[in-house]
Amino acid sequence: MFFAAIPAVGFGLVFNVPSSALGYCALGGAIGHGSRYLMMHFGVPVEWATFFAATMVGLIGVYWSQKFLAHPKVFTVASLIPMVPGVFAYRAMIAILKINNIGLSPELLEQFIENFLKAMFIIAGLAIGLAVPGLLFYRRRPIV
Amino acid sequence: MNSETGERAPTQRAVTRLIAQAGQLLLAHGAESALVGDIMRRFGTASGMSEEVEVSLSASSLVVATVHNENCITTVRRSADRGINMHVVSQVQQICILLEKGTIGFDEARQKLSSISHKRYNRWLVVVLIGFSCASFAHFAGGDWTVYFMTCLASAGGMIVRQELGHRHYNPMLNFAVTAFVTSVISAQAIAFGLGNKPELVMASSVLMLVPGYPLINSAADMVKGYTTMGISRFVKASLLTLATCLGIIGAMSITGVWGW
Repeated sequence: MFFAAIPAVGFGLVFNVPSSALGYCALGGAIGHGSRYLMMHFGVPVEWATFFAATMVGLIGVYWSQKFLAHPKVFTVASLIPMVPGVFAYRAMIAILKINNIGLSPELLEQFIENFLKAMFIIAGLAIGLAVPGLLFYRRRPIV
Repeated sequence: MNSETGERAPTQRAVTRLIAQAGQLLLAHGAESALVGDIMRRFGTASGMSEEVEVSLSASSLVVATVHNENCITTVRRSADRGINMHVVSQVQQICILLEKGTIGFDEARQKLSSISHKRYNRWLVVVLIGFSCASFAHFAGGDWTVYFMTCLASAGGMIVRQELGHRHYNPMLNFAVTAFVTSVISAQAIAFGLGNKPELVMASSVLMLVPGYPLINSAADMVKGYTTMGISRFVKASLLTLATCLGIIGAMSITGVWGW
């Protein structure tokens, strides 16, 4: 969990998150990645584990954002960066480039489709998980 | 209107300009569309546009229309991509909240909006922390300490290139391809010399700093919240950045002769 806090802060710096919110980024990153690891350990599929972890970060983020008077996405997205499926996305893209280079083969097509779908479902899980407070509780009113 | 008291109501034209300026700032610095539209409408309502404030967003521009006393003003602004900057987004939102609460007046809000700070973090701090971030990704995947430090070195080197190119306003796709190339050339050395327990992890983890995570999450969130076209355009932009990164990786692999993916 400590190692998930480092990328959350690192990408928080790239996204220029205000320094007073960086601590929340770190904590959110640790909670999100830690809970996803725990859920996957008990056999939850990666997409659903990501969705529930993002929901948890989203709900905590609402509480923090009301104290901090800024939209929760200002710091929750940086917290979720350790869970973004970068390796899946790259594998899918590299498969496309290889199909172009050396021709179509069932293995490359399989590599592309599987990695692409995995990446898309995880991204959707992250985004919808973060939006859960807005979808369930703050339907027609702003969070801050 | 009463011009003697100093508290005269702002003209509709001035309010529309203020709304457009706020929207331009938010959209250029990576806020999601639902937030942009929401804040722009709240700016309008807080400055006295009683009847209607409508906002339309597209990938490269935004349109604001205000209706006040049966008089309609519509204006269009271009929105350039200035990179993700959450500090700007939170400052705009705080000005909006202060204006709604009546703590600051219209003129003060306009002044504050024009003098928003775009200051970024010290670049060397970012380089070091991104190095350790990518190293932590390698740690998650089961790399040992040699892998950890090689990843740290490769991605910190890549981050310096990315900042230098970004500073000179090169196209982001070109920037990402070159950065991925440099990062992969450095990290390929770990495989070439067989450093650590899983040297291929260095190559996979060090380029993770280039994954457009924020645009991807924004794109999915936009589509869920009804801004479908914005979501599609953000998704295409993020995919092109990923493609550019992969071109850089492939280029580095064919030059060094190390195939780590």
